[in-house]
Amino acid sequence: MLSNYLKIALRNLWRNKTYSAINLFGLAFGIATCLLISFYILDELSYDRFLTNADRVYRINSDIRFGGSDTHTSNSSAPMAAALVQNYPEIEAAARILNQAPGMIWKGSEKIQEKEVYADSSIFEVLGIPLLSGNPKTALNQPHTVVITRKMALKYFNTVEAVGKTLRVNDSQYYKVTGVIEDFPSTSHLKTDLFFSMLDNANSRQDYWLSHNFYTYLLLKPGVSPKKVEQQIQQLFVRRAGPFIQQTLGKSMAELEAAGSYLRYSLMPITDIHLYSDRVDEMNPPSNIQYVYIFSAIALFILVIACINFMNLATARSAHRAKEVGVRKVLGSGNGNLIGQFLTESVLLSLMAFAISLLLAELALPAFNNLADKQLTLNFFKDWYLFPVLLLFALLVGVLAGSYPAFYLSAFEPARVLKGKLTTGMRSGWLRSSLVVFQFFSSVFLMICTLAIYNQLKFIQKEKVGFNRDQVVMLNGVYGPQVQALKNEILRIPGVQSGTVTGYLPIPSWRGDNSFFPEGEVVQERAVQMQEWYVDTDYTKTLGLKIIAGRNFSPGMATDSSGIILNETAVKLFGYANPIGKKISAIEDMQTGQTRELTVIGVVKNFNYESLRENVGALSLQLSSRPAGWANFRLQSKNLPETMGQIEQVWKKLMPGQPFQSQFMDEAFDNIYRSEQRIGNVFMAFAITAIVIACLGLFGLAAYSAERRTKEIGVRKVLGASEIQLITLLSSDFIRLIGIAFLIASPLAWYVMDQWLEGFAYRITLNIWLFLLAGGLALAVALLTVSSQAIKASLTNPVRSLKSE
Amino acid sequence: MIQIKNLRKVYRTEEIETTALDHVNVEIADGEFVAIMGPSGCGKSTLLNVLGMLDNPSTGEYNFWGEEISKYSERQRAKLRKGNIGFVFQSFNLIDELTVYENVELPLLYLGKSAAERKELVETVLTRMNIMHRKDHFPQQLSGGQQQRVAIARAVVAKPKLILADEPTGNLDSTNGEEVMKLLQQLNEEGTTIIMVTHSPYDANYSHRIINLFDGHVVTENVNTKFHI
Repeated sequence: MLSNYLKIALRNLWRNKTYSAINLFGLAFGIATCLLISFYILDELSYDRFLTNADRVYRINSDIRFGGSDTHTSNSSAPMAAALVQNYPEIEAAARILNQAPGMIWKGSEKIQEKEVYADSSIFEVLGIPLLSGNPKTALNQPHTVVITRKMALKYFNTVEAVGKTLRVNDSQYYKVTGVIEDFPSTSHLKTDLFFSMLDNANSRQDYWLSHNFYTYLLLKPGVSPKKVEQQIQQLFVRRAGPFIQQTLGKSMAELEAAGSYLRYSLMPITDIHLYSDRVDEMNPPSNIQYVYIFSAIALFILVIACINFMNLATARSAHRAKEVGVRKVLGSGNGNLIGQFLTESVLLSLMAFAISLLLAELALPAFNNLADKQLTLNFFKDWYLFPVLLLFALLVGVLAGSYPAFYLSAFEPARVLKGKLTTGMRSGWLRSSLVVFQFFSSVFLMICTLAIYNQLKFIQKEKVGFNRDQVVMLNGVYGPQVQALKNEILRIPGVQSGTVTGYLPIPSWRGDNSFFPEGEVVQERAVQMQEWYVDTDYTKTLGLKIIAGRNFSPGMATDSSGIILNETAVKLFGYANPIGKKISAIEDMQTGQTRELTVIGVVKNFNYESLRENVGALSLQLSSRPAGWANFRLQSKNLPETMGQIEQVWKKLMPGQPFQSQFMDEAFDNIYRSEQRIGNVFMAFAITAIVIACLGLFGLAAYSAERRTKEIGVRKVLGASEIQLITLLSSDFIRLIGIAFLIASPLAWYVMDQWLEGFAYRITLNIWLFLLAGGLALAVALLTVSSQAIKASLTNPVRSLKSE
Repeated sequence: MIQIKNLRKVYRTEEIETTALDHVNVEIADGEFVAIMGPSGCGKSTLLNVLGMLDNPSTGEYNFWGEEISKYSERQRAKLRKGNIGFVFQSFNLIDELTVYENVELPLLYLGKSAAERKELVETVLTRMNIMHRKDHFPQQLSGGQQQRVAIARAVVAKPKLILADEPTGNLDSTNGEEVMKLLQQLNEEGTTIIMVTHSPYDANYSHRIINLFDGHVVTENVNTKFHI
């Protein structure tokens, strides 16, 4: 019997090639998209699970409210890790990472900036990272030692056996390689290639509990509750930091809390960092669990759309199968037999679609990886378990898509269908209409979301952020005695307008904050926590910042070394009506509480130095000649390549051996929104896929609708209907359905996008035109699809269409 | 063999009620060849559907080989129909996607016959219908007469007690029509009971008895004296 079912299914597919192609490719597109999204989601969920101790490792997060500002950081203080292990036996081990680079690595005559950190020697034990060579317990317990990845070993020594070899860092520092580890997979929140011994960093030995600069990882003993450890951290902190707070601010920890300030610590499972962390100072930008939910929903949407196509086309074609059902029933087939037959057909089709979808997914993978910024691979030999899972999935899709047509068709009464009483395949039209509405609801919904995301991103790019980021080139790695000479030399190039040497820039770069107080009021209630940026006199000019009161730093004023420029938010937090000339105190030494006096010389108009997701926080500019790291120049737009060439020549002359690394500020600015841009692109791709699949189905339905109404069209033509009238007649049903879909999708999309936009301090309002555009696009595409069939039907000679009945 | 008493079949829609068969009493003996005649809409096909168990009567009794089946469910009727009744239609109703052989094999599949048994039965009947040489063709590759021969082969392959034929020559020219009628006659002579709905007095002449229907009533029942030999 099964072979009979298969035979008839294959012949049916072959005979109705258009229908089969629509169904097969619609379903294959749907499954392929679904597969890609599944891989994406699996990849997102697998972050850091490769670590041996993944289920017992937690990182300490800190939430601080002080001096009018909130800080949520993934860092904690230097002494915390060791103190916790000493005091609480529940903690098996702890390790810290400091995200600072000892410097550039020499490779022959070239200096290269790598991904480097300082780490405690216990880091490999805590995270459970095996060493390919070297002893994990002792690898970093001596100064001037480094553990490197396989990639680095090959790059610098051409062999994985690099233990005992030496790396030259900066000018004359030498580090001995004491271990080699495997490269980190892409699903790691750590992307580091070189782990330098923490013993080389002086700050790591400070016993200061209020400065948060270290990523601290704890390995808990099996069965220990992280909640309990969180309480222990808090107790330890109060015990150790309390006396210092009392001494500096004259307040106990309890009093500080009563006044609204706090320092709180929590543990985050290492496997949650990638999807659940909203901390701004993560080593690598994390993703968001929301996107995993959204993409899961999209995958389901697209699959359902494809299944709906299958159901719609199968039931629309019921007239063609009715006779067969009747004959089979007359010859003794029961309903069960027929259901079995139709389910076999749909499962066969879904298996074929599945095979095509694997091919499509494989072909689309590079583009998808590019779009989603992933390195996904399809490897059935390695991930053999995928195959049965996917096969089961295909069977499920087949049963899901085939069950409605199977039950619908098998319920035909033989006496009626054999008498031709069931000539229309459009019975149960309400259900088919609902399914079409659902398809277009999904498409319009996705389209509105895509348009909203794109508009928000465009808005951010065009938004006046308070500084001019166009034509500013930033040179990285600017250290050493030649810095001033470099700046002066480059400023002599004709196409360079101005330049500033500083690493504090309104794009992801250097940051530092401090507590400031109005003069003579060094008490916690009057504290203003603000960014403390060290710049030179040309900073405001080069970045196009606007001084709205007072003046800029002046090279001729010696007193400007104790001058300070505040932004509008800072002025507001201090509560100054006229800030110029006011004296403020900044904490000079964290450990002794010693302060230094500064005089406000100017006020700079607020500029967005963080992402536009945040409001502008308090910020101050101070003059300094500290190492800057970056030199930034505003260029004239004409002859840009020539100017850049000249700058590079100057660099090579003054910074021999150091690689020339430049980036334009507007690119760096756009990078902040890369994850949104990526999501926008992925959304766009999915929206297009959804609409293509929906239109495939619509095309099939329109063709059957036209076929079903052949006689009606003939009669209408004989009675004098024009082609336009006939096209309108045939298209109007579908237009109505799309209208309904639009009305349902719009409020829902509005709600979802409004929630998403909440995450931005600066955002667009969702205009009506955005909805109308999405609806209009869906309508236009659908009309194009339907009208081709309608035109064909309306142009048929009525004699032929009447005869065909 | 078949006995129907006071049989009524009423079709109801929301607004109107149509009586297709009204107090029909018919008895058909084993081995009989009966023709049912009457103008369009008189209830011929409805009667054939009820006799063929494709439809239930609204009221009345239907005794099939000693079994009262008027209240049977669709499932019970399907079970009884299988192997007991063969159908021949005016429009052949062959399945386009199946070959001649596969079309004829279908009833045997539903009866759960083994592959070897099926092969033997199908080939015997195809040879008998003189269509064996076309066994791998699809219906649309055959002439009308050939298609109807396949349909008859399919109707008789399971050796049913009763064949119901609904205007079996309606779509055929006179030569092919006559050939089909002769086949039916032959089957009848071999013992199969045949009930045939027809418009054609010529075809009706092949039967033993003619039942005339008008507006759902049996108006006359004549023993046919003009047998074709």
